[in-house]
Amino acid sequence: MGRLQLDPFLNELTSMFERNTEQGSVWVTLKRSSDKSKAQLNKLASKGEAIEYKCLVRASDGKKNISTLVGAKDHQRFQASYATILKARMTALKKRERKDKRKSTEVDKKQGGVSKKSNAKKA
Amino acid sequence: MVYITSWDDFVERSVLLFRAHPDKTRYVMKYRNCDGKLVLKVTDDKECLKFKTDQAQDAKKMEKLNNIFFTLMARGPEVDFNEVAGKEQAEAQPAKKGRGRKQ
Repeated sequence: MGRLQLDPFLNELTSMFERNTEQGSVWVTLKRSSDKSKAQLNKLASKGEAIEYKCLVRASDGKKNISTLVGAKDHQRFQASYATILKARMTALKKRERKDKRKSTEVDKKQGGVSKKSNAKKA
Repeated sequence: MVYITSWDDFVERSVLLFRAHPDKTRYVMKYRNCDGKLVLKVTDDKECLKFKTDQAQDAKKMEKLNNIFFTLMARGPEVDFNEVAGKEQAEAQPAKKGRGRKQ
């Protein structure tokens, strides 16, 4: 179980994605946590103090586990870096190619048809 | 498993679930590059909502959902995330004005 600082966590996450390109999955879990034990929580609650919550981020590739805690101050920065990593790595997802519309326009040019729908049906 | 077909429905119900049980709700993402599949799960260990996709456009939508969850979890479930969006817009506007003046 690797509890890392923010930046090392992001670096490890990147390499995790890299390692699992040809096979395997990458799991990322987000959960609210205060990083305190139940006893401490009860103490704080009875005193009437506000409990500071953070976001626990865990990542795994089935073999290695890493995690980090993101506080309210860091969350904007972490969120930006995390989004960048995901955008860069999630390349295997299908992009919406508008093949249907292209085919219908090509058919229009060839046949000089009246409506796109009727041409699509013929095709 | 409870797979939800509508993205907006998934987002709305996930946020409701989180606001109801902020300590128990977790948001899980599984990405498989070899299959080109992305699965999202939000659960409080009683109710489970899932969403799966292979579309790149859903990755962009997921980014927005990530932002929502980060804000909710770090700052608290009472946070109105339109506030956060508003702040970002406010930061963007002076930057644009600055560029105009320099020119």
